[in-house]
Amino acid sequence: MHVHSAIHLLMTSFSWNRKIGEKVSKAAVQQFESQSVKVEDHVELEEVDWLHAIKRRREILLDDCTTKSKRLKDEGEQLAEQSRHWEAVRKWDEAIQLTPEEAVLYEMKSQVLTILQEVFPAVQSAEMAVKLRPTWWEAWQTLGRAQLNLGEIELAIRSFQVALHLHPIERMLWEEDLRWALHLREEKRAVQQETAQHLSEEIPELQQDYEDFESDEVIAACTAIAERQKRACAMTMN
Amino acid sequence: MSTQYSILFKQEHAHDDAIWTAAWGKSEKDGSETIITGSLDDMVKVWKWSDEKLELQWTLEGHQLGVVSVDISHNGAIAASSSLDAHIRLWDLESGKQIKSMDAGPVDAWSVAFSPDSKYIATGSHLGKVNIFGVESGKKEHSLDTRGKFILSIAYSPDGKYLASGAIDGIINIFDIATGKLLHTLEGHAMPIRSLTFSPDSQLLVTASDDGYIKIYDVQHANLAGTLSGHASWVLNVSFSPDSTHFVSSSSDKSVKVWEASTRACVNTFFDHQDQVWSVKYNSTGSKIISAGDDRAIHIYDCPM
Repeated sequence: MHVHSAIHLLMTSFSWNRKIGEKVSKAAVQQFESQSVKVEDHVELEEVDWLHAIKRRREILLDDCTTKSKRLKDEGEQLAEQSRHWEAVRKWDEAIQLTPEEAVLYEMKSQVLTILQEVFPAVQSAEMAVKLRPTWWEAWQTLGRAQLNLGEIELAIRSFQVALHLHPIERMLWEEDLRWALHLREEKRAVQQETAQHLSEEIPELQQDYEDFESDEVIAACTAIAERQKRACAMTMN
Repeated sequence: MSTQYSILFKQEHAHDDAIWTAAWGKSEKDGSETIITGSLDDMVKVWKWSDEKLELQWTLEGHQLGVVSVDISHNGAIAASSSLDAHIRLWDLESGKQIKSMDAGPVDAWSVAFSPDSKYIATGSHLGKVNIFGVESGKKEHSLDTRGKFILSIAYSPDGKYLASGAIDGIINIFDIATGKLLHTLEGHAMPIRSLTFSPDSQLLVTASDDGYIKIYDVQHANLAGTLSGHASWVLNVSFSPDSTHFVSSSSDKSVKVWEASTRACVNTFFDHQDQVWSVKYNSTGSKIISAGDDRAIHIYDCPM
């Protein structure tokens, strides 16, 4: 059962094409398209009005940024699909320089950073995505997965719940993301209790609330379990 | 009595996380006013509203995941709450004790609503069924099938004749409660309907959608009577005032808007929240509005009467 859900998690975490192809880019493309329509509109407004002209120039520059950013985003996607992950990240960083408000760029970057095992930057990038577009459930899912990779189980459970509240019909969120995170929390609690019990038997003075018990030892044990499970899954998959 | 719209009271940090739902009730017994809130922190909180301030009465523990929806029975004695793990809980508001816990099954509960006689609780399910639980029995007693998608929102008409549901694909269904028959299916919105509310005379149905619009329907003929725009993002909640003159909406754009029912014009916008506003309700007279949202704050507003 455990191995089963873990396989699913691995599969969903790294099925890059699913997200890029179907969901992630659709909204962004639409947005980009609607913005590029604006460029054409402006071209028709030829007038010798300098104040207007300066304003127009600024708008064209902005549109320029949007077009360039979209190109970089697409290039990044292609690179990511060829598993050239670092190159993809660099393209998206360039795109972010041009359009820093574009949530999609941070979300894609987070997914690739997760693949690269850059766990902390992956969380940061996904946090930017949800900050810019808090109603976008996929960004919350990506954030939850990044947090889980960082070992932040409680934060991940929270992110998956936010995603579900926005979009409750996504089965994967229920059956894989949230279920797996809740399972990890239970395992962690079990390990904590065991360790606490073990310690209190050896050192009776340590008898205290198991709930609040937290030590490096516990975290190390959890990490070891998670690693072992991951490896087991990877082996099964191969 | 206030002559203009104003913010009256703010309860900052009312929960440890986002507030997703709120309800305002009045006790038939002693006339006291109760507000309940449900949060992503898994808690349901019961507040007393008296002397123009909130006082925390109970913190109700039990839900294992975020609390999606709360409602108060019409006599003000019982609260219902539902959480992401599809558990519906009933609470005695006087003692703060849990009366019942009902497991609706995986993803089989979302919004909860008391029937006008408070004998039943309706909730939507992921398979497009409206499940009706008995308050006394704590069991599922009826089921109405929309043959549609996940039902996000639900409302009883105050006269007890109709039950309306709003689905994630934007479809609205109206049932005749006496016969259990599906009366109307309206292709209301192209996006999820997170809230709907009847007018006090049960003639109008107001719907709120992620498409940013509010729509008004004539219930009897199932005609679209109006489409309102004004919110810059998802409309998350709508609620009719008990005196029929206004309704209020809240949105992901962080605002709360009050609309005049006769002209369908927005008469006031509150921009007091720092984040998405998930819930908005009137008190029993329509003199006050409560709102709550992702910023964990509860706001109470004064309305001109």
